[in-house]
Amino acid sequence: MSIVRTVFRNPPLLTFLLVALVWIVASLTLRGFGAYGHLRYLLELAAVIGIAAAGQTLVILMGGIDLSVGAVITVTAILVPLISPAWDPTGLAGVGLALLIAVGIGLLNGAGATYLRVPPIIMTLAMATFLQGLLVIVAGGSAVTVQNPAVILLGQARPLGVPAGVLLWIVVSAVVLLLIHRMPIGARFLALGANPLAARLSGVSITRNTLVLYALSGFFAGLAGILLLGMNRQGYVGIGDPYLLTSIAAVVLGGTSILGGRGTYAGTIPGAILLVTTTALITVVNASPGWRSIMFGTLILALLLISGREARR
Amino acid sequence: MKDAKPLLEARQVFKGFFGNPVLKGVDIALFPGRVHALLGENGAGKSTLINLLSGALQPDDGTIAVDGQPVERLSPASARAAGIAVVQQELSLAGELSIAENIGLGAYPRRFGLIDYQALHKGVRQVCDMVGLTEPLAMPVASLALGRRQMVEIAKAMFRKPRVLILDEPTSSLSAHEAGILAGLIATLRDRGVGLLYISHRLNEVQALCSHVTVLKDGVVTADQSLAEIDGKGLVRLMVGRETGELFPPRPPACPGAIRISVEGFSAGLVRDAGFTARVGEIVGIGGLVGQGQEDLLLGLYGAIPAKAARAEIDGKPGLPGRVTEANAAGIVYVPADRKHEGLVLPHSIASNIILPSLGRLARGAFRDRSAETGLIADLAKKLTIKGDVARPVQALSGGNQQKVALAKWLPLDPSVFLLNDPTRGVDIETKREIYLMLRNFASEGRLVILASSDTPELVNLCDRVVVLREGRIAAELTGHAITEEAIVGAAMGVTERVADKEAVQ
Repeated sequence: MSIVRTVFRNPPLLTFLLVALVWIVASLTLRGFGAYGHLRYLLELAAVIGIAAAGQTLVILMGGIDLSVGAVITVTAILVPLISPAWDPTGLAGVGLALLIAVGIGLLNGAGATYLRVPPIIMTLAMATFLQGLLVIVAGGSAVTVQNPAVILLGQARPLGVPAGVLLWIVVSAVVLLLIHRMPIGARFLALGANPLAARLSGVSITRNTLVLYALSGFFAGLAGILLLGMNRQGYVGIGDPYLLTSIAAVVLGGTSILGGRGTYAGTIPGAILLVTTTALITVVNASPGWRSIMFGTLILALLLISGREARR
Repeated sequence: MKDAKPLLEARQVFKGFFGNPVLKGVDIALFPGRVHALLGENGAGKSTLINLLSGALQPDDGTIAVDGQPVERLSPASARAAGIAVVQQELSLAGELSIAENIGLGAYPRRFGLIDYQALHKGVRQVCDMVGLTEPLAMPVASLALGRRQMVEIAKAMFRKPRVLILDEPTSSLSAHEAGILAGLIATLRDRGVGLLYISHRLNEVQALCSHVTVLKDGVVTADQSLAEIDGKGLVRLMVGRETGELFPPRPPACPGAIRISVEGFSAGLVRDAGFTARVGEIVGIGGLVGQGQEDLLLGLYGAIPAKAARAEIDGKPGLPGRVTEANAAGIVYVPADRKHEGLVLPHSIASNIILPSLGRLARGAFRDRSAETGLIADLAKKLTIKGDVARPVQALSGGNQQKVALAKWLPLDPSVFLLNDPTRGVDIETKREIYLMLRNFASEGRLVILASSDTPELVNLCDRVVVLREGRIAAELTGHAITEEAIVGAAMGVTERVADKEAVQ
């Protein structure tokens, strides 16, 4: 009884167990689902969502939201092929430049939220719309093919049989978990998310932390964009769009409070895997993709209600 | 008049919040054609009594009677139906709606299911004439000055032709002219047989307008008598007199040290043009009625709200802190009055609340030093006798223990100036004693303690010096034996300004 209660009180663990259950049951009943290649493919897909949701987790922990995640993914996926200089055989210069642009976009989001006091939901939505317009003008609507060797390596290499994207996700997870749980700035994000006024009066700078936070969100979205480009080999307008809502869904599925102040990236990781698993299930049983969205919605509500996490506020 | 039945009365009403008794068996009776004054210090229970009389709250015990008939569960709606109207201290107007719409709210005349604006304006015009509102009726209330809005509020109460009118500090935002109109209106209503209850901190107004007085102190009626039999000094004495016991630590002989804070022409929020100095080793009290700028004075010194001063010096350095982080770096810390919203991150653990201001200084490189943090938290919890597991969320603690956490988190910074806003509000007596002792020790260790308090005995018995604020300005500065409850309450209410206030009323 007490074990059951512990699981229900611990949303990351609950989500993780749910993923494990789905994987075991599906592997036993559906042919092909449990193959190593298939599960590896699922993790590869989850890596893009998980990396994009890393920034989203941090932003939501601090009580904000970043609606420009999808647009930043698209921006980097389109810009990397365009801005990678020909003199650089490694392709790292182009990657670095694209990440710098992503961080810059995040800083602008943060500056709008803190200096102009625009609510984050409006600031990042406006930024997303602005970027989409800009991309149509710059890229002209046609797809661009990536030649950058670093990006292709990231998207295609499999050292020891593990996709490079999954390895990148493991590194990102370690960094984000350390940031939230082992660094002072993580504790400040959480305090600001739970009670900004009390945190400010305790000497936590809202301005500085907001800027850092949205810059980080831009960085991780940019990283996800580069990984997606490498896996896809092509960038086009709208490539990042599906990742906006999935990044938020992964955070919420992982038990992080949408109101801020409570949660962890440890929940977002199984949250992201759960999302791609659901999609795969629908594909394997050959049901209408409409069921995918219906299941997402049901899952989010059900997990939220089971753990009663918002109700206790 | 003596034979008349009371229009509205409370009989032996009790009311408590969270086990904290506020009213302990209070009687009050409002008669037709009489202006009844209700007096009491901050926290004496006046607002609670008004809420009971108007149906906003239900008594725990005792009865509310209308026309001599006890009423079960008086609701705001049934109170309104019985002709009871209240003009609240905090304005309850909808800023976007027009004057007429606000006054008629809830009782719009209708035609074919739509609001009949012609009929509404006709009815509203009448009450507006009575209170001297000449503005166009279609004007949105948001564009009116605070005093005019108060007059709209009064007109709104009048619109329902009340039999009982309760006025909670109606003149606090009125000009002398408007207060004069109100005084005339009150006399007219009284002569028409309306029963009036008048709450005000301006004793001179009370003496000019009212004929009967009820004084509340700590939830008990200490006087219920005709005003003719008592003078202003006597009323103040009835409102304060109380035993203090050994709640407070002994006060050492005054030995003022070096000047730590000195400001002139200081303005922040409500505070206007204040000047004072505070020295090392002192406990300086800030007194006054609720909301006279005490909080803004502290927040301004803390850099949490914009402040300016003609001249300011802190620890010999010129200038005020521009933001909280600068204040913290200068050794200034602040403990807010509203622990739940401003002082603590309630859902987080005791440990994370305590460690929040020290996170940066305890870190080794980029990472937190968990063992140093744990040691510090355990040390502070022991020193302040915060009992139990520090991993518990702070919202599980009692008010007193929460306050200790809010104080404890600052101690690792070794602050030189403590700014405290009502640190003992809602705190049990034992913790109060501990906090008083702690503050006295801070002072003797060579720190400066600045303490805003709504609890007058606290100011009298703990502080070395008391500054009394009234309408954002310093009304009095008291030292040593001059710090008495009578002097503080008198200065807070402006008893010394008798002449000026009398003029305002007439």
